Amino acid sequence: MAEFSTSTKDAGDINVIYLKGYLDAHTAPVLENTFSDLIEKSRYSIVVNFGELAYISSAGLGVFMAFIEKIRENNGDIKLAGMSDKVYNIFDLLGFPLLYEIFKSEEDAIKKFDEIKKLEK
Amino acid sequence: MNESESIKVKRNLTALVEFSRIINSSLDLDFILNNVLLTCMGKFLATRGLIALNINGKLLLRASKGIPEELKNKFPELPVDENLIHNSELKKYFSEGRLQAIEKISSSDDCLGIVCLGEKLNKQPFTEDDSEFLKTILNISSSAIQNSMVVDKLSVVNRFLDSRVQRLNSLFELSKEFGLFSESARVAKLLVYSIIGQFLVSKYAVLTFIDGITTVIESKFPEHRLKELLNSDDFLKLENPLSKHEIGKKYNELFNLGIELIVPMQLQGQTKGLILLSKRINNQEYSESDIEFIYSVGSLAIISIENRRLFKEELAKQKMEEELEIARGIQRNLLPAKIPQYSSFDIAVMNLTSQQVGGDYYDIIRLDDNTFCVAIGDVSGKGVPAALLMANLQAFLKTTCRQGMQLEEATALINDLISENTSDGRFITFFWGILDNEKRSLNYVNAGHNHPLLIRDGVIRKLDKGGIILGVMKTMIPYISENIQLKKDDVILLFTDGITEAKDKFDDEYSDEKLEALAVDSAALSSKEILEKIKTDVQAFARGTAQSDDMTVVVIKAI
Repeated sequence: MAEFSTSTKDAGDINVIYLKGYLDAHTAPVLENTFSDLIEKSRYSIVVNFGELAYISSAGLGVFMAFIEKIRENNGDIKLAGMSDKVYNIFDLLGFPLLYEIFKSEEDAIKKFDEIKKLEK
Repeated sequence: MNESESIKVKRNLTALVEFSRIINSSLDLDFILNNVLLTCMGKFLATRGLIALNINGKLLLRASKGIPEELKNKFPELPVDENLIHNSELKKYFSEGRLQAIEKISSSDDCLGIVCLGEKLNKQPFTEDDSEFLKTILNISSSAIQNSMVVDKLSVVNRFLDSRVQRLNSLFELSKEFGLFSESARVAKLLVYSIIGQFLVSKYAVLTFIDGITTVIESKFPEHRLKELLNSDDFLKLENPLSKHEIGKKYNELFNLGIELIVPMQLQGQTKGLILLSKRINNQEYSESDIEFIYSVGSLAIISIENRRLFKEELAKQKMEEELEIARGIQRNLLPAKIPQYSSFDIAVMNLTSQQVGGDYYDIIRLDDNTFCVAIGDVSGKGVPAALLMANLQAFLKTTCRQGMQLEEATALINDLISENTSDGRFITFFWGILDNEKRSLNYVNAGHNHPLLIRDGVIRKLDKGGIILGVMKTMIPYISENIQLKKDDVILLFTDGITEAKDKFDDEYSDEKLEALAVDSAALSSKEILEKIKTDVQAFARGTAQSDDMTVVVIKAI
């Protein structure tokens, strides 16, 4: 069975989720729990780093859909970063770039959050 | 040719070679068209220009410079044919757009499109030479344009194929996951995640209709309201997906909840559930192939949910079967393996256990060479609990029998013990007696059991002395016993209600009357023959109808 794991990092107001391995129907609940935990703690500014993600299936993409409304209702967002071409291609195929901001690097994504915070102030 | 002219020609040639090199080094259509336009405009000092390409037989504007947006949108949709350049609509457009030069882009066998250039900045008209040069540029470009158009087309096809492959992957992955007998909640979750990820849906619900119960497994719509609205037969019979349009027309309330697609989950042509989806966040409609995909994954999911349910059911059945086997085992071990022989009595017994293992108990216990105890009882309930209580009863019985206690006293004691040992309302109807071989006598107590029959000279006497059934409460009123002096040819018939309440297919009972009549009629026979008569008669009555209770008969004949 393909392995999948997540880890998280606090970067000030922002939380980064690192994905590793294969995100599919079987492993989707792992990411689901990670998101649920953050939302429970009212952490709504989330960057997901895809650097070490080898594969994502539509069930994996579904996890992003399942939480985005709640997060945006709370003035937060999920920003995506560091995707390999293969992973990006799947996001692109299904039209995600229209709905999600996708960045080359985690730093860019964090920067974008910071800019928005500054504007709000 | 003077020198300046030759320099000019040389420069033109160099420029053409450079141009050719650049556009032929790319397969990016936008880059090539941009380059062609800029080169032409630069060469002829034109302030505006456009390129329209032949896409599937139709001329479509593909690149332009210096043309106002409004004019771009007005570009006529024209079929590509022989007379394209002379098309009046196109001519009208040119004059409106102040476009002057027009040239076809041609491959060896086809018209790829046209280039149009606007007036020159210096207001000079396009010359014959200009036209020749434009042709040259386009001849150089045509193969690059053609190649990149093919690549463009391929990439569209590729993307389409990619998304098909992606869908197949999803289907494959889900079918693998669904094969694992997961909990239905997990199956539903994977199902919706797959769908919302695939189609960018924000709200969804999954319902099942199994065993006549509507269950909302997953819902982002108000659950209660959903159940109310979907509780009509319409949905149980829904065979085809309902589109946004149909929902809006027929089920306004659902539409108002934001539901734009309802897809049935079917198993062997029966609708076993529904998938409800809101609109897609990218505002695209669900296409036919989208709906087909959702229908497919829905069917996969319902098969998985149903399989698991059947599996569980089978498991429960097996477990019950095992439990019954245990109960049967206990019961078998409690019944006497051998009937003791006494010279004054001819004894025959029959015990048929029902499928569910009832609580019939009988025993014949040898006390000494002259006396023995006969007992019959029916423990309430079935299965293992009944069998265990029966085991208790037998243990108490065997102990008290050997204490030499009076029967009524012993019965009171057994009742107390059973009462102490049952907490769940179980009870036992019980009859027991001591038979004396020498005196040919019976001393019995009946604790609420079906009255055994004593048949003497064609007359029935019911053995009804005793007291309350065992296990209901501690002994308050003493049991009474009765002594009967038996005569030769007396028949004592002990039975459980499994006999008198045996059912035929109309659910009618065999009845006490029938048994009593049969007992009187066959009293002259031996114990064994009497038993056979009863068995045959009851079986003839039931005619193969499965019985829910055990049947026990003990026949004792004085000889």
